[in-house]
Amino acid sequence: MPNRALAFILTSLLVSACGSKPAAAPKPSFVVGWSVYVGWNPWYYMAKSGILNKWADKYNVAIRVQRFDYAPSLDAFVAKNIDACAMTNMEALDMPASANIDTTSIITGDYSNGNDALMTRHDLKLDQLPGHKVLLVEKTVSQYLFERALTLNGLEKKIDQVKLVNTSDSDIATAFIGDTSQDAVVTWKPMVSQIAKQKDVKTLFNSSQIPGEIVDLMVVRTDILKRPDGSGERFAKALAGAWYETTKLMSGPAGADTDKVLKEIAAGSEDTLESYKEQLSTTNLFYAPQAAADFTTNPEFKTKMNLVRQFCFNHALLGANTKSVDDVGIQFPDGSVQGSKDRITLRFNANYMQMAAQGKL
Amino acid sequence: MTDLIQLENIGVTYHSKKVLDSLTLSIAAGEFIAVCGETGCGKSTMLRLILGAERPTSGRVLIDGRELPRPDRNRGYVPQKYSLFPDKTVLDNITFGPEMEEFGLIGMLTPRYYRRRAELREQAHAYLRQMGLQPGDGAKYPDQLSGGMQQRVAIAQALIMRPKILLMDEAFSALDPATRGGMQRLVRKLWAETGTTILFVTHNISEAIFLGTRVVVLGKDDPAGSSKVMFDLEIPEESREPSGIVGRDEMDRLSALIEGAGLGEKLEIGVA
Amino acid sequence: MLRIDASPNRITTWTLSWFLFAAGIALYFYTSHSRHIENPEDKVVPSLTQLAQGTADAFLKPDSEQKDAGPAEGSLPAKFFSSMLWTDTVASSKRFAWSMALLVPAVLLGLHMGMFPIIGTFFLRFILFFDKIIALSVLPILFIAFGIDELSKVMLIVIGVTPTIILDSFNLTKSVPPEQIVKGFTLGAHDFGVTYRIVMKQILPRVLNSIRLNLKSIMLFLFAGEMIASQDGLAFRIALLRRHMGMNVIIPYVLWVALLLFLVDLTMRLLNKKIHPWFREA
Repeated sequence: MPNRALAFILTSLLVSACGSKPAAAPKPSFVVGWSVYVGWNPWYYMAKSGILNKWADKYNVAIRVQRFDYAPSLDAFVAKNIDACAMTNMEALDMPASANIDTTSIITGDYSNGNDALMTRHDLKLDQLPGHKVLLVEKTVSQYLFERALTLNGLEKKIDQVKLVNTSDSDIATAFIGDTSQDAVVTWKPMVSQIAKQKDVKTLFNSSQIPGEIVDLMVVRTDILKRPDGSGERFAKALAGAWYETTKLMSGPAGADTDKVLKEIAAGSEDTLESYKEQLSTTNLFYAPQAAADFTTNPEFKTKMNLVRQFCFNHALLGANTKSVDDVGIQFPDGSVQGSKDRITLRFNANYMQMAAQGKL
Repeated sequence: MTDLIQLENIGVTYHSKKVLDSLTLSIAAGEFIAVCGETGCGKSTMLRLILGAERPTSGRVLIDGRELPRPDRNRGYVPQKYSLFPDKTVLDNITFGPEMEEFGLIGMLTPRYYRRRAELREQAHAYLRQMGLQPGDGAKYPDQLSGGMQQRVAIAQALIMRPKILLMDEAFSALDPATRGGMQRLVRKLWAETGTTILFVTHNISEAIFLGTRVVVLGKDDPAGSSKVMFDLEIPEESREPSGIVGRDEMDRLSALIEGAGLGEKLEIGVA
Repeated sequence: MLRIDASPNRITTWTLSWFLFAAGIALYFYTSHSRHIENPEDKVVPSLTQLAQGTADAFLKPDSEQKDAGPAEGSLPAKFFSSMLWTDTVASSKRFAWSMALLVPAVLLGLHMGMFPIIGTFFLRFILFFDKIIALSVLPILFIAFGIDELSKVMLIVIGVTPTIILDSFNLTKSVPPEQIVKGFTLGAHDFGVTYRIVMKQILPRVLNSIRLNLKSIMLFLFAGEMIASQDGLAFRIALLRRHMGMNVIIPYVLWVALLLFLVDLTMRLLNKKIHPWFREA
């Protein structure tokens, strides 16, 4: 008797494991990943307020929004567990490039205009940094900002002489504030705001000095956009439509209504209205779709992306075996390609932004 | 001459239960006193009071006229279980006491210790032989020995210190009858040879009678009350046969006394 | 077959015990293969060649961004000892060794707490409380007190694991039969003699086993510390590799750490057996 029971259990486990492909859903469903950042919090609001659902229904798709920590969201995107993800231009280049996942950026949300900063203690100046330690999350925009800070001040030869201590973003503020022997730190808001409050801490450099280089995007897997049944395109349209409706609400006339929206957005990361507004003040958010599209199609953008891709290549972020910065290709809205035409892994698509500008969504 | 051990008006209370009450007893040097009684009658407690492992709630325990509330090298101890140190060989178990006493913790790190060690080990071997063990047993660990052998080593370990009193707490109760008999004869022989005062606790009346020059029986009148001395009997050496076994007549007298007090079933009449 | 007294024969035992390994490996390569058909350069579930490449990179090549890289050409051992994996292993091992050394006072404290009631009452309540504090949640305090360099990493491990070791040692001390302690006194030993020559010697093999059981905890805290803020170390490398999906290097690292843990455990077990031949509970 016991043997039969055992056999039954094992067989049913096997069968359920095999037959677990879901039946085709009536509506194509998609997942969007986001993590806490001033430029990405609106996704929380969009889902909560029903704006996203409205647009999803309009285009006959189902969209779910999922919150992650930043690094796990990138992992999920590359592992194809989610279909779209909010990330910076730097990650939009490296992650897909090194994993060969063709990615398209459909929304240029904002660029960091002071949100990322390099701060020091004890009056340490830029040229005094060599030989000291800097706390930052290695191989992210923080390290990029750091190198740009030194390069723009003629200190690029000294970059190697500064010791980097890889510190996780969730603990970097506590670490720098707690250990007063640490001299330098590079991070982003809101950690930057907390650290700046400490006495004896000065900001040496921030992203407003390199405008347009640290850009925040909403990216979608290209193979999804290219789905023959068009569901991917509809998904992208829904995302763009919902996004710009929200940014319109955010940029409404100053007053109780706008504040209400902003407050709910801030609540997505348990932040206060004042704190969120403060972070918005150092973010150049493209509230209007035309502004976003213009930024993306501007030739200046290509120059900036070039700086970014150089950094990525120098730090082996494009893939362990890339031999040159041109091994991967970046395609711009005008069709031009930076790098290899045969291996385009990042595309900037301004169509959806332009459609939103023209009210065609 | 003061007696070696004096219990004056001892009271012991555990968890508001009086185990012993107003117990008075004196033991002279050289006696082999067997303390008997049913389980829970407080005989082990009495042993521990004399050992210094426990303090009475009331009354005094005097050793050689002084109160010594801590166990010391003059009162040897052989418990029923855990009588040897499991992490040391038989030989090391036996030499432990002399080494500890002569050198102390720090002294064991000096070179003088290593020279003396050989001599002490010779002494220990002598004890092993006396206990009826083989020289090869010296290198064994306690868990490699049978129960009887372990207790032999434990006795050697205690006797090598030449204590004034040897306290044995149900030392043979965990052994099988055959081994037990041998052990009883061994202890009697050692007592005769060394003259050490021995206090032996057992719940087996026959064992008590075989071993002791004096048998003290503890018991309770009222099951919920405290224990008292029911009997304190001298067993004259003359009443024993050459083998040590108590003679017929004396045995009958004792049995009559015990039956008369209604303790016949309560005390384990077994091997002698 | 599913009976308490049914022991399988040699061949079945061998097959059964290796089955899950085989199944796991098969499942892995099946997944890797199907992902690679879709995307030949998939990095999430690396193929055998990618794994081989990753292993070679880890074991033979220094960190790509290390300025003072070792010899480009050289014998296998030379390459290994200047490799990324080795430098990381050395860094992590130093921290591990320090925290193991700091466990010695912990064991001694537990011993004294168990033997001397005054010491026991003084410490026990506090340590019981402290044991319940999750070390990671007090990171801010840790940083203020110890900085974020080597000291704080070792202290994180110590704070995380020490209370357990102290309590274990305490309980082991308390479970030594009282007869042994009385015996000690009757054989001329004083308080410290009984503590060190009788009790400590008896509990030592069990204490070593207790530490063995806590090895994983120690590693866990070591890794947490390295992932939070570090310049080198095994967990630091894994955290970094994540940025560019270096699963083909991460997997060899994970297996290497498992091997190291296994070796440390084995060494401790053999050492215990050697020093304490009388201890049967292995």
